[in-house]
Amino acid sequence: MADRIRSDAGANSRRRFMQQAGAGSAGVAAATLGLSMQEADAATAPAFDATYDIVVAGSGAGGLASALFARWQGNSAVILEKAGSIGGTTAKAAFWYWVPNNEAMKKAGIADPKPDFLKYVARLSNPQGYDPGHPRYGFTQWEYDMCSAFYDSASPAAELLAAKGALPYRHVADVPDYFAELPEDKAPKGRVLVPKEAIPSMADGGLVAVRTMSTKARQEGIPIRTGVRVTKLLQDKSARVIGVEAKDELGATVRLRARKAVIFATGGFTHNVELRRNFLNGPIFGGCAAPSNEGDFVPIAGALGAQLRNMNYAWSCPIPLEKAIAKDGSISGMFSVAGDSMLFVNKYGHRNVNEKLQYNELAQTFFEWDGAKAEYPNLVRIAIWDQRSQQHSASAEYGRLIVPPGTDDRHVIKGATLAELARGIDERFAKYAGAIGAARLAPEFLTNLQAAIARFNQFAKTGKDLDFKRGERVVEQLFNGDVKDEPGRSNPTMWPLADAGPYYAALVVAGTLDTKGGPKTDTNGRVLDAGDQPIPGLYGVGNCVASASGRAYWAGGATLGPIIAFAYRAANAAHAEGRSAA
Amino acid sequence: MKTEMLLPLAACLVLAASLAQAQSPGQRLAQSACTQCHSFGKGEPNGVGPNLYGLLGRPAGASTGFAYSKQYLDAMKGKTWDRALLDQWLADTQAVAPGSTMAYFQDDPKKRAALIEYMQSLK
Repeated sequence: MADRIRSDAGANSRRRFMQQAGAGSAGVAAATLGLSMQEADAATAPAFDATYDIVVAGSGAGGLASALFARWQGNSAVILEKAGSIGGTTAKAAFWYWVPNNEAMKKAGIADPKPDFLKYVARLSNPQGYDPGHPRYGFTQWEYDMCSAFYDSASPAAELLAAKGALPYRHVADVPDYFAELPEDKAPKGRVLVPKEAIPSMADGGLVAVRTMSTKARQEGIPIRTGVRVTKLLQDKSARVIGVEAKDELGATVRLRARKAVIFATGGFTHNVELRRNFLNGPIFGGCAAPSNEGDFVPIAGALGAQLRNMNYAWSCPIPLEKAIAKDGSISGMFSVAGDSMLFVNKYGHRNVNEKLQYNELAQTFFEWDGAKAEYPNLVRIAIWDQRSQQHSASAEYGRLIVPPGTDDRHVIKGATLAELARGIDERFAKYAGAIGAARLAPEFLTNLQAAIARFNQFAKTGKDLDFKRGERVVEQLFNGDVKDEPGRSNPTMWPLADAGPYYAALVVAGTLDTKGGPKTDTNGRVLDAGDQPIPGLYGVGNCVASASGRAYWAGGATLGPIIAFAYRAANAAHAEGRSAA
Repeated sequence: MKTEMLLPLAACLVLAASLAQAQSPGQRLAQSACTQCHSFGKGEPNGVGPNLYGLLGRPAGASTGFAYSKQYLDAMKGKTWDRALLDQWLADTQAVAPGSTMAYFQDDPKKRAALIEYMQSLK
């Protein structure tokens, strides 16, 4: 009985998969595109539901680009997406992509020599080992090769995607790298591209990219199956990866054959609490990665002996505590900490950070450990602003805490006075006690907060933050957001908080855009085993595999630039693999 | 002794039944396909996309406080959300409103029907 049910389910799932344009439309597409039916035809072996040259898991930028690059070389490909809709984290991104030595730079006469580029990324990714006199600038061979491959392939990848109409771009010539002032950065502006049709603020770039790339993929005959979660890799007797087993939304099993390669682009482990706790370098509460980013590739590749790298780091950003706890699917990282009459304090009422630090660096400051008190004093920080910032700095974009009327403001605490605000803040701490180690506001919070505001206001009047140098770096002004115009002001990131309410507050914790560790790959995206040998037929791209960037966030688009470059390299290498016998 | 063992079991069954009721196939599909961008509860805020409570019967593009794309407004002008329009929309948003922000497609008519059923149940 049990067996019969199981086999029925399998048959149903096979039928459903075919009906849903699995093999059927691949065949139609193959016919219209002039491919032989043999190349894109359905099941060649009874154990498989359908056969393709390349099976791609994940439909964000990495998966869409990998499938397109492979398809354009004549391969049949399918994309499997675990979530019910496509795009993954990419759909939530602004989709800046950082492309060294890109064509737009060349046209504009901006030089971006490779040795200097590599020094810049080495300085940031391996700060303790950086050595400008070393032949690899202190990088390990793997780190050096990966960063070198990124430099070489990002621009050809971006150009091909643009030329084929999958991802037309525009050059954002005036956006600085996040460490533009470092002497190693010889091209501090010019490496950032965004999807051509993105709105002027660029905040919707990811939605545009997912739309244009997925539309192109479907035109090219690449089926995109949603609600299909890859659960394991299938290998032949020689241990070559020859396909995947997956579960659909209703729990039925499908098995897909990959004649050349399986490429994973399934995102990181932001939403896997167990992996987060065991691998990340601090208390991370979640993040704006797609809710389906649960680190699936770690155990799947682990079962085949993949070695892991860079598991301790994430693309970090502060996030609103309450949206993380609510598992709000539309949560955004706080890429832009807006407001001039605004400051952060901790539960003691101490202001102890430059609020305008670039988001990856700001998030890391929440991990500071007090060894005497055995606590993270900054585990939850409180952003506090006044009516001026509420009025002039509100925006629904880039994850801002200060949001316009009529938008989601459940994270905002209001008070007519600072004392009332403090009570409201403490109530929220109490409400979330179970998630924040039972932290509460210290008894001296209000007194310290008043002192912190007084000191901040003095700095704001002179434009010089003598404690934390707020607003002194170019990137801090880049993400300052809208502020009320004040002619003659030297530092647009600061203004005194008003002496009278209303005041506003929100609770902030550390989160991720997504994690950046996973199975180690070579420069062609081939997943490596413990002996640094490729696991035949298995590739990985993007946040599901190890980034060679270490802790660093080099610039806006330092996530997607490498993703496109390695999708290109992985697809090229996968294309070159011989088709394995059925 | 026997009743003691049976009672918790019965309680479990009731719980399981009520959970299954709470999570219709349509709601499960909505959870995995839609909630990254849309909220469904009455009075809940817009996300990446507009709140979808009470969508059926409403004119398209009428959610207050939500900024629609020009492509969407042009394509949907004068249309009212009914089951047929929603079915077309869920089958391929880009076929209905090319160039609009939402890229979603569901080839399986049964899954579309379940989603529509769920959305119709919200009132």
